[in-house]
Amino acid sequence: MSEKNILEMQKISISFPGVKALDKVNFSLREGEIHSLLGENGAGKSTLIKCLTGVNQKDEGKILLDGNEIQPSGPHEAMELGISTVFQEVNLCPNLSVAENIFVGRQPMKRGGIDWKEINSRAYELMSRFHLDIDVTRPLSYYSTAIQQMTSIARAVDVKAKILILDEPTSSLDENEVQLLFDVMRDLKAQGMGIIFITHFLDQIYAVSDRMTILRNGHLVGTFDINELTKFELVTKMVGKDMDVIFNLQRAKVFKDADYMLKAEHIGDISHINDISINLKKGELIGFAGLLGSGRTETAEMLFGATRAVKGDIFIDGQKTQIRNPFDAINADIAFCPEDRKRDGIIGDLSIRENIMLAVQSRKGFMKPMTKAEQTELADKYIKLLKIATPDCEKKAGELSGGNQQKVILARWMADNPKVLILDEPTRGIDIGAKAEIQRLMLEMCTEGVSVIFISSELDEIIRCSNRIVIMRDREKVAEIDGENCTQQDILKIIAEGAA
Amino acid sequence: MKSHMKKQSFITRITNPKYIMVYATIGIFFVIYGFGAFLYGDKGFTTIRTFVNLFIDNAYFGISAVGMTMVLITGGIDLSVGAVASLTGMFIAYGTSVLNLHPLVCIFAALVMGVGLGLLMGCVIHYLNVPPFITTLTGMFFARGVCSLISRESIDIKHPFIDSLASWKIYLMKYSEGSWVKIKPIAFINFNVILFIIMIIIGTYILQKTRFGRNIYAIGGNEQSASLMGLPVGRTKVLVYGFNGLCSVLAGISYALYVKSGWNLSLQGGELEVITCAVIGGTLLTGGVGYMIGTLFGVLLKSVIPALITFNGNLLSWWGKIATGLLLLLFICIQRFVVTSSSKRK
Repeated sequence: MSEKNILEMQKISISFPGVKALDKVNFSLREGEIHSLLGENGAGKSTLIKCLTGVNQKDEGKILLDGNEIQPSGPHEAMELGISTVFQEVNLCPNLSVAENIFVGRQPMKRGGIDWKEINSRAYELMSRFHLDIDVTRPLSYYSTAIQQMTSIARAVDVKAKILILDEPTSSLDENEVQLLFDVMRDLKAQGMGIIFITHFLDQIYAVSDRMTILRNGHLVGTFDINELTKFELVTKMVGKDMDVIFNLQRAKVFKDADYMLKAEHIGDISHINDISINLKKGELIGFAGLLGSGRTETAEMLFGATRAVKGDIFIDGQKTQIRNPFDAINADIAFCPEDRKRDGIIGDLSIRENIMLAVQSRKGFMKPMTKAEQTELADKYIKLLKIATPDCEKKAGELSGGNQQKVILARWMADNPKVLILDEPTRGIDIGAKAEIQRLMLEMCTEGVSVIFISSELDEIIRCSNRIVIMRDREKVAEIDGENCTQQDILKIIAEGAA
Repeated sequence: MKSHMKKQSFITRITNPKYIMVYATIGIFFVIYGFGAFLYGDKGFTTIRTFVNLFIDNAYFGISAVGMTMVLITGGIDLSVGAVASLTGMFIAYGTSVLNLHPLVCIFAALVMGVGLGLLMGCVIHYLNVPPFITTLTGMFFARGVCSLISRESIDIKHPFIDSLASWKIYLMKYSEGSWVKIKPIAFINFNVILFIIMIIIGTYILQKTRFGRNIYAIGGNEQSASLMGLPVGRTKVLVYGFNGLCSVLAGISYALYVKSGWNLSLQGGELEVITCAVIGGTLLTGGVGYMIGTLFGVLLKSVIPALITFNGNLLSWWGKIATGLLLLLFICIQRFVVTSSSKRK
């Protein structure tokens, strides 16, 4: 690794309506370096990358590539300048062959036509550099995600890139595939390429990176050599300090002899979670802590049947229950508020009333429709109870603020009287006041005997509300600790270092 | 650079899963053709004349199917082709019979109209982001409306140029006893058949040998990826609809030569026949997959069924529609199967 910077981003600022996404962030990349870019969701990592690849235009600052100022207007121009990006989702065409995906748009020509022989042999050569001996003439969709990922890297590399950006390339790869990718990365590094590596897996950062830059809430926390920070310090810097807003909340009271409402024993699906066990008592609130991608959501989806658990047993209220799909879960009185409320939860074009009555109606069956009066009564009850800010229940749910939308989803499941309520990031992207309100509601439901699983990236709210905290890391449950007597430091330490 | 590419065995090359659909089409064509040969071989089903007639009677569908195949590969659809072909016939008929223009002038006007309409629809589809179904439906109504504006009566085409072009034919010969003689029963190919074959060759060249053609596949595979890979998505889509307009006009000319008249209601539903040809030829309606050779056999497969019914002599011709429908259903099921089984490997 030389000391020469091939890329310098100086005092980059970008604002979106209402948010300062990046605030005077500096970033530099050396020749032959693997540089990790870190931060929790919304920290500004992707905004910085999008600025570099010309997807978003910066408001202030300078980008210098080899000392010359550049201003790419889009990914294509950035590519021509030598900045190639490989995204988390494979951005290739599944119907084209591996070889063609590498060369499409710049195929070598011979005698007035595309030279397929040349394409196939050059592609084969590139892939064998990655130690992959495959038939490059088969369609891309024929191969595993890892090979598809390698294909996009091959494409990126073959355009003579100086800078390669890898945006979470490992999230869908298994251990061996990750090692293969790392070998390729080290190879490219030895050839002098600068690599920007984004991942949520901490171990991977330490395995390949030379330096790391940490962002938080659009601000630069700092750039460090890889040996300069321990994992623990790194996580602390990523997540930041306590919120200094005071919430006055009472943890749910769980009786020692309370029955287990939900017991999951060694459940797993093949692809995401291997083996996890959860015990949840009546009226208890369990928090799921862990970084993004640690398997929190996947576990929740498995409990709700959104992905099917292929092994292990689930007991609801002492009864062994088959949960093959969400319908089974709803019948077993499990409710689930998904992470992305816009996409998976709220139906924006329907009114608040219709959104709230959905779960109740679907349980009653569509043969027995609720009368409009019943619906309105139900909706009005919850609007009042949850203090949803709306003139009446006929307002479209999509027009509400994020916090109020979240309350509507909560109301939908509360109206259904669930025994187990799973909330995945219910407080993401809503303001502090609404956060406190949602947390208060969760705890109130616990006192009424509902068992709650609460998933959040914000440790302080997990600690504030949970009776017990399940800590996940790299798709495994690494610890389960008591919620009352723990600090953020304890959790961070476990997240950073593995089992307590 | 030294290439280390292993020589692929012939078997691995031809068993590449991307050819499954084409094999299915060719296979089913030969099964049905063999079935006909078995039943009606003695009545002359196996003669070259019967085979060549499959081309002669369906050339106009085939010519249009070349453009349609490309449109379908991009993931789009074009419902205007029947109406545009019909309008081309009206141009030629009205132009020669009423305005006393030379047919070539009429054909030129039709080309400007067809390609222009295609490009316009392409622009609306890409830049205004209107679904192809709606856009081309509008194009269809427009072209059909103009047909009726020109005339609501059928107009005969009587022009020496058209007559000579329509009656021009090459007899198939064989070498016997020291001289070339016409084969018996007499078989010939005409202008339409040659145009059809040329269009298939041009289509194959475009799809397999040009960057433009490969971009068509890329767009059909994943339009967003294609644009992220820096491919000219907009230009390609617009040109594909333009090319399809060209094919529609050529199909219209071919049809005019075949029936020697222009009628405002001719080729109604023709667009669906053309789409059927492409789909039973192995082109995926969801885009990204399709071959010209498949489309060629799709046309033959679709036309061998009515031929069978003619040879039978007792069946009503509607059975042909039913058989075509079943065939289409079969192919859509095969496609579904191929798509799901290839994505299962992930």
